[in-house]
Amino acid sequence: MQIYLPIAEMSVNLFFLVGIGGAVGFLSGLFGVGGGFLLTPLLIFSGVPVPVAVASVTGQVVAASTSGALAHYRRGAVDLHLAMYLVLSGVLGAFGGVAVFALLRDAGQLDLVISLGFLILLGSVGTLMLVESTRAILKQRKGIVVRERLPNQHNWIHGLPMRVRFKKSRLYISVLPVLVIGLFIGFVGSLLGVGGGFIMVPALVYLLRVPGNVVIGTSLAQVVAMMAATTILHAVQSQSVDILLAFCLMVGGTAGAQFGASAGKYLRGEQLRGLLALLVLAVAIRFGLSLVIAPSDLFSMAVVGGRQ
Amino acid sequence: MRQLALALLFMASLLAPAQAARLISQVSNDSVEITSSFAGERMNFFGTIVPDAGSAEAITGPFQVVVVVLGPTQNRVARQMTNNFGIWSNTGQVEFKNFPSYFHVLSSGRLNEITDITTLTTNFILPESHTLVVNTDDWWRSAVYGQQLVRLMTEQGLFGVQENGVNFLSDTFYSARLTLPSNAPPGPYIALTYVFKDGAIIARRSEGFAVRKIGFERFLALSSTQQPLLYGLVCVLLALFTGWFGGVLFKR
Repeated sequence: MQIYLPIAEMSVNLFFLVGIGGAVGFLSGLFGVGGGFLLTPLLIFSGVPVPVAVASVTGQVVAASTSGALAHYRRGAVDLHLAMYLVLSGVLGAFGGVAVFALLRDAGQLDLVISLGFLILLGSVGTLMLVESTRAILKQRKGIVVRERLPNQHNWIHGLPMRVRFKKSRLYISVLPVLVIGLFIGFVGSLLGVGGGFIMVPALVYLLRVPGNVVIGTSLAQVVAMMAATTILHAVQSQSVDILLAFCLMVGGTAGAQFGASAGKYLRGEQLRGLLALLVLAVAIRFGLSLVIAPSDLFSMAVVGGRQ
Repeated sequence: MRQLALALLFMASLLAPAQAARLISQVSNDSVEITSSFAGERMNFFGTIVPDAGSAEAITGPFQVVVVVLGPTQNRVARQMTNNFGIWSNTGQVEFKNFPSYFHVLSSGRLNEITDITTLTTNFILPESHTLVVNTDDWWRSAVYGQQLVRLMTEQGLFGVQENGVNFLSDTFYSARLTLPSNAPPGPYIALTYVFKDGAIIARRSEGFAVRKIGFERFLALSSTQQPLLYGLVCVLLALFTGWFGGVLFKR
């Protein structure tokens, strides 16, 4: 069944949209990532114009993360206090990201920067996570008891000034690294059209030592608020949010996210991180290959100067 | 000024056709409406060639008819990727201002047999003729990029030439069929019909039709540009509601 998308100005199969929304939603519920880094390339590949794909996926990420965030919230796994700091700085970063996005698009270098950005970010994050989770799993096989947090695990970040107590995360740390993480993720997320959960989760785990049980919930809550702001920014600045496209993806995404969140309960934290690492690395490799393999078509075209 | 004089001269040469003939033509739909199930639309162009008013002289064929369908114009860029230090990136770019977003030619025979290349180019009947209007110092580069742009547009179904697209049902009555693709850009379209005899244009006519969104699609497209902030807020509210509702619905 074909459906016409009024902003993308093309017709797409409805079941295809709901289907990819559902599949990506499942992963987003499972890992606590927005799923944008999978959905945006999928849409571009199926012919949706790049600005429309990026802007509409931000809307879908809001929906997919809302159901996940609520599910985690009910289980008491969201640190709202920590999320608030991340969101405030994240929105500031998003302003910068959306502006740079427009500049690069006009210069014709958006694809290159997106590919390089995905390669570097996903590649490094994926490798780190894979190494860490494999080590944790191997240790456990050998029967070594790994405690969730060790008192001497504090690093230099915990010594910074302006300390704030985050009760739910059982943390008493400086707000500076929290704000920097938020700012960075807001910028990168809006530039690459992703929620940034795949950077947020490891940043919270490895840099701030946020306990595993609140990491995913907090990350999701942050993604909801930040992507909501980014959606509005995109709607105002590039006017390329296709509400119908976003809605079709949302319907599949929210259903998928519920099943993903349920499935997540049967997997251990390090197993989840290991699987996410593999997924992230696969996407990184795909972007890396697109940079070095000769493209099938050396020429491309784009409409400039906005829509009429 | 010189260009204007040339244009006037050109117009004057058109006003004195080789034979006194006139074209009566019609488009099957004067507006193509884009609804939620829009998946393209089939259109018919038909007409008949009649002697000019007051001319007693009977008109005789054989005639050749060319129908050119032009969509709204946009500024488009063509970009080329090159390999620098092992990484493929866009390095070259040529902008084509007021480039048609849709261009299809239907003709009753091979274009190069109907008339000469100059007539085809000056009347913008060939797809490539739209890429020649850019006035840059680097004409060779813009010619190469223009050709590639036409190829890309053709691959998307937005450009095309059908040299058997016009059928003569009698000596003077023709009909042409065109299927507008679902990605046809909305806006004003123009259909230019040329009647050729012995390589010269003896009659021409233009008709307009509109491709436009109606109802809900029109409402959405308009609100996204006229009330972007409200539109964005509604998107977010819809997303939050869908997310919450999905959670309630699938709660297990």
